[in-house]
Formats: sequence, structure tokens, C-alpha cells
Amino acid sequence: MSGRVGIEEKGDCLVEPVPAGGGLDVITKNELLLGPGLRVVAEETLKALGISVGVRLTDFGALDYVIAARIEAALRAEDASASPITLPVDREASDRHRPRRSRLYAPGNRPRLLTGIEVHGADCVLLDLEDSVPPSEKLSARILVKHLLAATRFEGEVWVRINPLDVCGSEDVREILIGRPHGVCLPKAESADDIERLARLLTERETELGLPSGSTWIMPILETAKGILHAEEIAGADPRIVALAFGAEDYTRDVGALRSLRSLLFARSAIVAAAAAAGVQASDTVFSDIEDDEGLAEECVAARELGFDGKGSINPRQLPTIHAAFSPSPEELEQAHRVVAAAREAEAAGSGAVALDGKMIDRPVLERARQMIRYADLLRAGGGSDA
Amino acid sequence: MRNAAGREIPERIGSRDVRPFAGAFATTNEGGKAQRPQKVAPRQEEKVLPSIEAAIEASGLTDGGTISFHHCFRDGDRVINQVLDACARRGLKDLRMFATALFPTHKPVIDHVKNGVVSRIEGSMNGPVGAFVSQGGKLAEPAVLRSHGGRWRAIEAGDVEIDLAIIAAPQADPYGNATGTRGKTPCGPIMFSAVDAQYAKRTVVVTNDLQPYPVYPMEIQQGWTDWVVEMDEIGDPNNIVSGTLQLTRSPTNLRIARLTADAVVASPYFKEGFSFQGGAGGISLAATKYLGDEMERAGIVGSFGMGGGTKMLVGLLHKGLIRAILDGQAFDLDAVASIREDEAHVTIDPGLYANYDSRGCATYMLDTAFLGATEVDLDFNVNVNTHSDGRLLHGIGGHQDVAAGAAMTMITIPALRGRMPMIMDRVTTVTTPGEVIDVVVTERGIAVNPKRDDLKERFLDAGLPVRTLEEIKTEVERLVRPLGKPVFGDEVVAVIEWRDGTVIDVVRTVEGWA
Repeated sequence: MSGRVGIEEKGDCLVEPVPAGGGLDVITKNELLLGPGLRVVAEETLKALGISVGVRLTDFGALDYVIAARIEAALRAEDASASPITLPVDREASDRHRPRRSRLYAPGNRPRLLTGIEVHGADCVLLDLEDSVPPSEKLSARILVKHLLAATRFEGEVWVRINPLDVCGSEDVREILIGRPHGVCLPKAESADDIERLARLLTERETELGLPSGSTWIMPILETAKGILHAEEIAGADPRIVALAFGAEDYTRDVGALRSLRSLLFARSAIVAAAAAAGVQASDTVFSDIEDDEGLAEECVAARELGFDGKGSINPRQLPTIHAAFSPSPEELEQAHRVVAAAREAEAAGSGAVALDGKMIDRPVLERARQMIRYADLLRAGGGSDA
Repeated sequence: MRNAAGREIPERIGSRDVRPFAGAFATTNEGGKAQRPQKVAPRQEEKVLPSIEAAIEASGLTDGGTISFHHCFRDGDRVINQVLDACARRGLKDLRMFATALFPTHKPVIDHVKNGVVSRIEGSMNGPVGAFVSQGGKLAEPAVLRSHGGRWRAIEAGDVEIDLAIIAAPQADPYGNATGTRGKTPCGPIMFSAVDAQYAKRTVVVTNDLQPYPVYPMEIQQGWTDWVVEMDEIGDPNNIVSGTLQLTRSPTNLRIARLTADAVVASPYFKEGFSFQGGAGGISLAATKYLGDEMERAGIVGSFGMGGGTKMLVGLLHKGLIRAILDGQAFDLDAVASIREDEAHVTIDPGLYANYDSRGCATYMLDTAFLGATEVDLDFNVNVNTHSDGRLLHGIGGHQDVAAGAAMTMITIPALRGRMPMIMDRVTTVTTPGEVIDVVVTERGIAVNPKRDDLKERFLDAGLPVRTLEEIKTEVERLVRPLGKPVFGDEVVAVIEWRDGTVIDVVRTVEGWA
């Protein structure tokens, strides 16, 4: 059992190191069709690692990135001194103000659920190394996520939720930064100090890898009583922060609350206010019943009313509902355009006061209308998909 | 010679002079109809025979004869194996098996090929029999695959003469009327056999539920039936739901289904009176569900949905979202029950459904259809018959008939299955030519046939992810090293007929790998 990596399920493969001189043993359901490609990937990976041991690979339909990751994980579990494989990554930095209506979670140890996660049109895909990964799989999961990051083109943003820094978050950062995610989510953030420590780690690793310093965003997840009470200092702790996220499951446990719109009102409002004060976005917690579309829609409406910009999602099926709720509706957009047009007319007429339908338009209302139009333009420009 | 689908095919295959595929609607078949030997029955003739052997004997079936069956019990069929065993016991040799389709349960057919009882197979082969035939050297003549409509046409036109038609009927009367929707083990309509019953030299109804005259609805009529045989077991209706008919839970497949429904909504066809057919796969079922939701939201009532009937389609009928279901076969037991109970769930035979040689078939009235596939190529050609390793593993079903008939034909297919890219430079086998395919929907985007720029515009306006097949192909090929490629030999193991009786492609033996 020692050194065996992978899960016996579709899209994955099992890799076991065998004694030196054991060669490469590939087992696949369709040797003629799949065998040659599997061997090429395995051999390239072994060469990149520079370790001469044998490997037995049992394939269940894994893509190249999975095979490479599983081999790397199996061999590094045997030989802790082996250095990580570095990979070429072609990824543009993202705009800090881009729409983040959805952050779609995927478990970082499950190729079956990771492969194809980029096709669903999520504004942010969030590859998870924390709660969905058991302690024994932390190493193989972060290696898998690294290879996925390097192999995959994302239309939106791709983030990694690392483990808290005093668990194994710093190892996570060292590994996954090779794959150049747009940002890193820090779970259970409780103080400005947590953020500053993460920012230092990121800077250090960015420098080592030759990446522009400060190019990796941070999204703290506030999901404890302490975190909520320190929302303001957290939000302002570092310019890498582009959004605050809320985690209701841990928060309710921490404070002893039952989950309801009412019981979470304080925490949600605290996050929205702190985010707004720091000029960053706020992203609401996940809704965990994937069968309940109506419940999801209700919670999205409530979150948007409170001032959230987006919401977490545990299944791609939830994305259309979430995107619809956090996008300006056609009616809202039309009203925004009317407000802006009225302001333009007033300006042309040299009048200081702007009126529409017999009502005065205040400055904040005008500013909000302009913001909404800019946001809608961003969405149309491909900052987010309709699907 | 090279046919109009760009495939290299022999001019002669076995004893057949090949008419090459010339285009989806290019062939004019002007021949008349085949004749059945006339028989004038006396009043109240006793048609019940004691056993299947007695019926085979009475039919005068001889070595080299053709024996036909339907597939309406799908993988639950118990008749074909029993009848072939009886043929073997009678010492018959070199029979031509002419079932509409064979399933994994018909694996014993392989033994009957080996022992010489069967030497030719025409019809769909799903699973082991197809894999066996693919090896080559097994049959006296290459197998022939036809669509539902194509099979009906071939019998009517006299391309295939049936000596003995065996029709499994969940309920029948002693004078030869039979139905598939009633009885102890209803499997859904059995009108796939209506053409066999009308053109075979001899027609035998076998039933496990013989009831007093009259049994109805008379899907198989007394005027066509020579004899009736009672059997203990004809099939297990629980197996008419095959593995491909479960609603999918895979996020990738649901994504494809969602895009499919969104594309239909964005198309010019989505309006009052709209009609559609979903195939049998998990993606199609989910797309049907999503489409129903959209129709409800938009307040649109469709004119008809076309089966294989499914629970999903029946649900739309019961909600009043479609006015009728036109149905040739049942894909689950909800559909069977609905055929019995709902007047608007109309049973149609494959001639009405899909026949090329007709004054108009039902698929020609379809606005849109979404169908599955094994592979698609850059010319929009579709393969549903062979796997990428060259083995023959599936029948055509109604694929050609529906694709040619619908105003907007959509192929739903994952761009990647495991390690295998499904968009190829050239499909392994052309089942359905690109000229009748309008849209290909994958999880990575929607590709529109260049001749349908009108659709492309509408999809783009609706914010749908429109991409070219080349783009999608390149994207998935970055994720996997190229596959091994089968090198094909010269021996033709199966002929793929286009629905008009021409040859659109052939399946050859695999000789090696590159």
C-alpha cells in the first residue's frame, strides 16, 4: 500500500512505485488504443523527476495531467527530497474588479470531478485543498491541482483554496504557485496577521518562480466569530485582496447558531460593510442543497439585497441561478441607462439638479447607475458567461 | 469507388452490386413494391400451433432461408435465442438472421454462427455479436446495417425477402391479432414487425398471453398472420430500459443538455406548435427535461414530441406542453402505460416514422432533434456504429432518418470520453453525413455547420458559446496524447446503408495498429 496514489474511479489512475529496475508497467482496458499515449506521458514524467525507479500504472481513463500528477505524487511520497516538477504556464493576470458572481468549488483530490470543471462558465473556479481533501491526500492533491492548473485554459478566473497556514498552507502555496492560479483563498482567516503572513509567502514564491511580485490575488474566507469581528482589518490588510468570502457552515458551528437568513444577518452584513470600506468585493457562502433550486434562488436574492457581489457554488448546476441573480436584470439596466441619460441632459442644459420621472436623482444613485452599466459591459466582454 | 460522403467503398461487396451513397436526398427509388405470396384463408381457421418447432416445420423454412424478428424487448428478449435453438435442433443451416436489432442477451447467436445454423446477419448489433463479426471471416456475406426507415424500405422494395417472420407479442388472439402494449409482459408497440408480417412468406406470432378473440389494438393483424404459438416466456419488460436510458448526473453531460436546450430556445423553431425528438441517451433525456421547463416558462405548446417514448416525454404530454407523442417504440414502462392510457400517445410504425420511399414520413415534420453519437468529424459526419478502435458495437436506430428529417439536427456529444477525443479529422465510420447535421453541442461549446450561419447568428445573439469544431478539437487534444490508430484490412465485415438503400460506408477488419 505504501506509495500508492490515486483513486480507483473513472478519470483517475493508480500509481505504485515498484523496486528499481522494475521498469514501466501500464495496465489499461484498451492497450492498443490508449497504451502508447499513456506510456509517453509516464516516461516524460519520470524523466522530468529524474528518479530511476519502476512504476506500475493502472489507468481508468485519466487525462495526461492526472497521470503526470499521480506519478509525481507517488515518487515524491517515497523520496521527500525530490523537487517538484515545474511546468510552463500560459495565463494572463486578471482584473481586480472583474465580475465574480460565482466561485465554483471542486475537490482537489478527485480527477473525476476536476476534469472539465473549466467548461461550466463559472466566474471563478476554486480548486479545493482544504475540507474536501483528507490529511493523507494533501500532498497528492496539491500536486494534482498544480498539474491541472498548468494543463487547463480557464475562461474565467481559477483560484486555489489552500489549507490554513498552520496546517499545511505554506506547502500548498509553494506547490500550486507553479501552476499560476489567479488567486489563493485563505480559509478561516481571523486577523490581518494571517493575511500578511500569506502575502509574504506569496511574494517569496513569486520571486523564486520569476512571477511579477503581487500578481497572485487573495480572497480571505471569514468563517469564524473572530474572523467576522476582524472583517475590517482583514479586508484592508493587503492590496492583493480582491474579495472577502463568507463561510456559513463553520461560522454557525463556531457561534452555535442554526443556519437561517436571520441568524447569519450580522455576519453577512459585517462582511459586506468591511468589503465595501476596503473597496473589494463580497462573496456569499455556498448553498448546499443542490436539488433545491428555489431555495438557492431565494438565498441569492437575499444576498444581493445585502450587497454581496456573488456566491459560492458546490455544483455546476447552480451556476445559471447564481449568475442570473447577480447580474443586472434587463429592467435594472434600462433604468440605469435612463438615469445616466437624464444626467447627461441636465449637464448639457447647465442644470445642477438631475430629475427623472418627476423625482430628483441623488449623486449616489447616479454613481450606482454608472457602475451597473460598467459592470454589464464587463460581463458582455466575456468577463463572465451567461451559462 | 468514392461515394458522396467521401468514403472509399468497393463496387461489389459479397453478392451485392453496390449503389454508392449519392447525397442525403439524391436517390430516386422508382421500383414498385415487393409481392407476398397470396393465401386465401377459410373461415375461423385454426391457426394455433403447439410449438415453435411445429411453426418452423409448417413454414417450410429451408437451409439458406431468412428469418426475421423485432427488438422491442431490447436486452430482455427471450424469443430469438429459443427460436435459433429450435432451428438448430431441426438441423437447419446457413440461415440469414434478420432481426431489427440484437443486444448483449443475444450472445448465443455467436454459437449459432460457429455451428453453421446462421451464416448471415442483417440488422443492428449492439455489443458482443457486433464485436464478434468485426473480427472478420465469420459470415458468408458481410453484415448489413440499416436504419429503422431503411429496413422498412428494404423489405418493401424486395431487397430482403423474408421466409419466416417471428413476432414476439405480449398479447395475441388465436386468429393472429397481436399487441405489444397489453398482456402479462408488455414491452411497448411491436409495429417494427408490421412490415415483416405483411411481406414475409410466412408470419408467426408467438405470445405468452393468448386471449380470446379479439385482442387489440391490432398492431399485428389477423390478415397477415399464418400461425400463432404460445410460449412460456417471450421477454422481460424490465430490460427494455437499457443502460443508455438513465437520466445523467454527470456535470459534463448536464452541461451539454443545458446548452442543447438553450440552443433550441435561441433557434427560430422555438415557438407555438414546435416539434422535436430527443434520442435515448442520458444527455437527450436531460435536454428533454430542460426543454420542457423552457416551454413551460415561455408558455409554448408543442405540436408533437417523437419517441422512443420515455417517462420524460410522457411528462410533457401530461403537463399539456405537447399535443401528441408519435411513438414507434417504448424506452421505459412509463411510456408503455401511457400508450395504453393516453389517446394522444400515438403508435406509429417505422414506415410512417421514417421510410425514404414514401410520400412523406413523420421525421420530415420535425423542427428539431437532438441525437447522440460515438464520434463526429470536422465535416460534421457522424458515427454511431463503431468505436474508435474499429469494432462494430452499435446499430443505426433512427439516427439517419431523424437527422435527415429534422429542420435543425443537433448532435450532443462530449468532446472527451475518458482519454478519447470524440471530434476527429475523419470519423471511423460514416453513419450519417455532415450535410444533414446542423449543430454539434459539446461541453466546450456549440459548433454550427457553416451552411447554417443563420443559426450561428442567433446563438451568438443569445450569448451562447459558439465555437468551431476545429477549436474544440484543438482544445481537448492539448489534454491527451494522441491515441493509437487502427489500421484497417481489406475485408468488409459490415455494410452501412443510407436510408435510401445506397451504401454510405463499410466496416472493415482491423489488421494492425499504428
